[in-house]
Amino acid sequence: MKAEWWSCDDYAQSQKISRRGLLVGSSLALYTLALKQSALGQIALRTGKQKEGETVVIVFLRGGADGLNIVVPHGEDAYYKARPALAIARPNDASAHKEDRTLDLNGFFGLHPALAPLMPLYGEGQMAFIHAIGSMDESHSHFEAMYAMERGLASSAPGDASGWLARHLISSSVVNDSALRAVAIGGTMPDSLRGASNALALDSLDDFKLQGDAGFRAALDKLYANGGDPLTQAGRQTLKALDKIQTLPAGSASPYPQSDIGQGLRQVAQLIKSDVGLEVACLDKSGWDTHVTQGRGTGILASQLDDIAKGLAAFATDLGARMKHVTVVAQTEFGRRVHENDGFGTDHGHASVMLLLGGGTVPGVHTKWPGLNDDQLSGPGDLQVTTDYRNVLAEILAKRLQNKASTQVFPGLQPTFPGFTA
Amino acid sequence: MDRRDVLKLGLAGAGIAALGGCSPLAARYAVQEDPALPLPPRDVEPEVRLLNRLGFGGRPGDIARVAAAGQGAFVAEQLAAEQKEDVRLDLLLAGLDIFSMKGDEIEDIHKEQVLFELQRADLLCAVYGRNQLFERMTDFWLNHFNIYALKTDSAFRLAGDTRKVVRANALGKFPDVLRASAHSPAMLGYLDNTSNKSGVPNENYARELMELHTLGVHGGYTQRDVMEVARCLTGWTVEDRFLHPRGQFRFNPDVHDAGSKEVLGQTIPAGGGQGDGERVLDILAKHPATAKHLSTKLCREFLGKEDPAWIDRMSSAYLASGGDLREMLRPLLTSQDLLTAPPIAKRPLDFVASSLRATNANTDCGQAVVDHVTRMGQGPQLWPMPDGYPEKAAAWSGSMLGRWNFALALAGGKLAGTNIGMEASRKPIEEILGRHGGADDLLGPTVNGLNTPEAAALCLASPEFQWR
Repeated sequence: MKAEWWSCDDYAQSQKISRRGLLVGSSLALYTLALKQSALGQIALRTGKQKEGETVVIVFLRGGADGLNIVVPHGEDAYYKARPALAIARPNDASAHKEDRTLDLNGFFGLHPALAPLMPLYGEGQMAFIHAIGSMDESHSHFEAMYAMERGLASSAPGDASGWLARHLISSSVVNDSALRAVAIGGTMPDSLRGASNALALDSLDDFKLQGDAGFRAALDKLYANGGDPLTQAGRQTLKALDKIQTLPAGSASPYPQSDIGQGLRQVAQLIKSDVGLEVACLDKSGWDTHVTQGRGTGILASQLDDIAKGLAAFATDLGARMKHVTVVAQTEFGRRVHENDGFGTDHGHASVMLLLGGGTVPGVHTKWPGLNDDQLSGPGDLQVTTDYRNVLAEILAKRLQNKASTQVFPGLQPTFPGFTA
Repeated sequence: MDRRDVLKLGLAGAGIAALGGCSPLAARYAVQEDPALPLPPRDVEPEVRLLNRLGFGGRPGDIARVAAAGQGAFVAEQLAAEQKEDVRLDLLLAGLDIFSMKGDEIEDIHKEQVLFELQRADLLCAVYGRNQLFERMTDFWLNHFNIYALKTDSAFRLAGDTRKVVRANALGKFPDVLRASAHSPAMLGYLDNTSNKSGVPNENYARELMELHTLGVHGGYTQRDVMEVARCLTGWTVEDRFLHPRGQFRFNPDVHDAGSKEVLGQTIPAGGGQGDGERVLDILAKHPATAKHLSTKLCREFLGKEDPAWIDRMSSAYLASGGDLREMLRPLLTSQDLLTAPPIAKRPLDFVASSLRATNANTDCGQAVVDHVTRMGQGPQLWPMPDGYPEKAAAWSGSMLGRWNFALALAGGKLAGTNIGMEASRKPIEEILGRHGGADDLLGPTVNGLNTPEAAALCLASPEFQWR
């Protein structure tokens, strides 16, 4: 196989964590206690300088996206044996319709045909796919797995209740007081930003308007001018964001899909182009829980992929040269069982795929491929996790957002940067 | 101390947990405590505090009513929960299909419609219910035994669950709530006990039963206890056989693990069948850790903090009375401490319900209201995790604009299905809000120049009204 190898042993080691884990824990405790004792700790940390206007965009694919049918291991016979009804045809399979065939990436892996809009970006060296990636959570529960990932933990227990992005904002040495530093597109604050007092959740920029007149606004300004309680602080933050959002230039007219993710990406691009200090953006796309009739070249999974591929392609086109300063991550809580089930679908599995696009991305398919033969699977028949998702995210924070405090963002992790981001 | 320090403390806590070699179970929720954050200065009138703490805030006239009755009599009335309900509530609830249909008929309705009716019912009860303490406890239990309506068939099963589990026992005895929840098809489906079978037990429900519902994470159980409880509960499932009453609780002996088990040091002999699970519920309900865990949560709910003396007192009342919630709550609710405890942040549901009550609104709690609450992040029955909506103020930092726009829509008469009429002046709201210490000073000069709906909206949108 031609896929790049990344020699990673910390998953295997984390399985037998015991003594080492305790040592990590103790040094962390001492470090953070020392920080807590002195306000100087804070000041000492606040010296870094971020690369100009860098933004990281996290797209969370909720429901467990089927990595094996997204980045298809078409060089694996075992894949075709395990999925007689669902496998995506080999790139050269003349018996399949051309539009149902895998789009070859490197002779071993290829993209689902619905991801065709991403092929030019891959060709330009803007994209990476990391396969057999995931957390150590083996619960097969969406909630547990999402809760672990959004908190930046190996698995759902034990751990900190705040989100990994919130801890990034707090531990970052970069000074960024923008009211739009961290934005979640969607109704609620995702768990990854929980605990960040300066994050903003909004449904849509167009709707982020106060429905009252100037007099009402002035009165709110007075009422929220002082007061240190969390809701009054949040109110001040919201008022600041309102001012910034009102003066945004109009969004791009470039052809984004009308879907939530398409419109969400359009708005993130609008914020980036407006230079409002956007550092972290979060978007969600749900609907990946394909237990039944997930389809092959067409069907449920294909239409999901079509939507996200068109959205990301439009995003890259819209931002043009600015993409050098924007890193998009698409992640999911877990992948799906290798063998298809009786309902032409797939059940909850373990490892899946992560997609990187834009600034700093080291292009290619990166994986320590665990194989798909039965004796190579984990749990009830899952693709093994060979890359800890936290190392990839820690590297992005360190290299793109200049936050080296990986152990604060990802408690318990001994970071090993895999070299997927420059 | 700011958020940054708080989170640092959290990290330190995680490290210490690892250092001490605690079980992962014990550490899981060990780091969530926020040290005290600055709160708005409050010197609250006792009547306002009672209405805010026992229920979802006052309606015009309530302050005078509570003042005339006094704390003891008002608490007694609310603990009895025998107030005749507002006829509007009866009529509006009677119009909901989920309460008029029988058995699995409900599955003929669209899932979205079922969810919408469940959400409406929750809101209607909070807004119109005259037994406000009962409604607050209902909200408490809906979070304590949280079920996510969008997981598989949960929405259909929740219609029965809310009535049979929560509303039947909201102020009763905890062992009864627990037992009803454990036999609830909605819960068994939500926490995957329907896939808990002999040989390959699914631990999901067994774990949350101990961690969230009874003992608490520090309650002294081990991973082995989780596995043994899961074995006891094998076969507790939901009826799905042809010609049987679909969607009801069912014990399936064919998939039950018949061997003997040991739970928290007690042996459960082989061959107990469904009795194994019943025995587990019994052990858990009588456990002192359960008394402490529940007392701690109730203390946070009503006192806004974890007060060791009150937790001890309530735990003792639990153990002495067999988990009688009235016995646990009465001393706390009639105490001076309740009146002087720190303020609690209103979650969006609380904010919306108290706004509708303060303005004496006529509302169908229809799509417009449900949409507002959902946009603020607290759509009823829509929290995916089993731990219930967050209690911490900081989790709701994204809801401020939503609160202000709701206040403007409500006071400006722009909320479909809701009408506050001509008397919706600032007066009734100021009656509720103006009693809050400092609010008079703050709002007095600020509202000058605003028209009446705007002044009313500003009362609801003010920092003071976001706390209870």
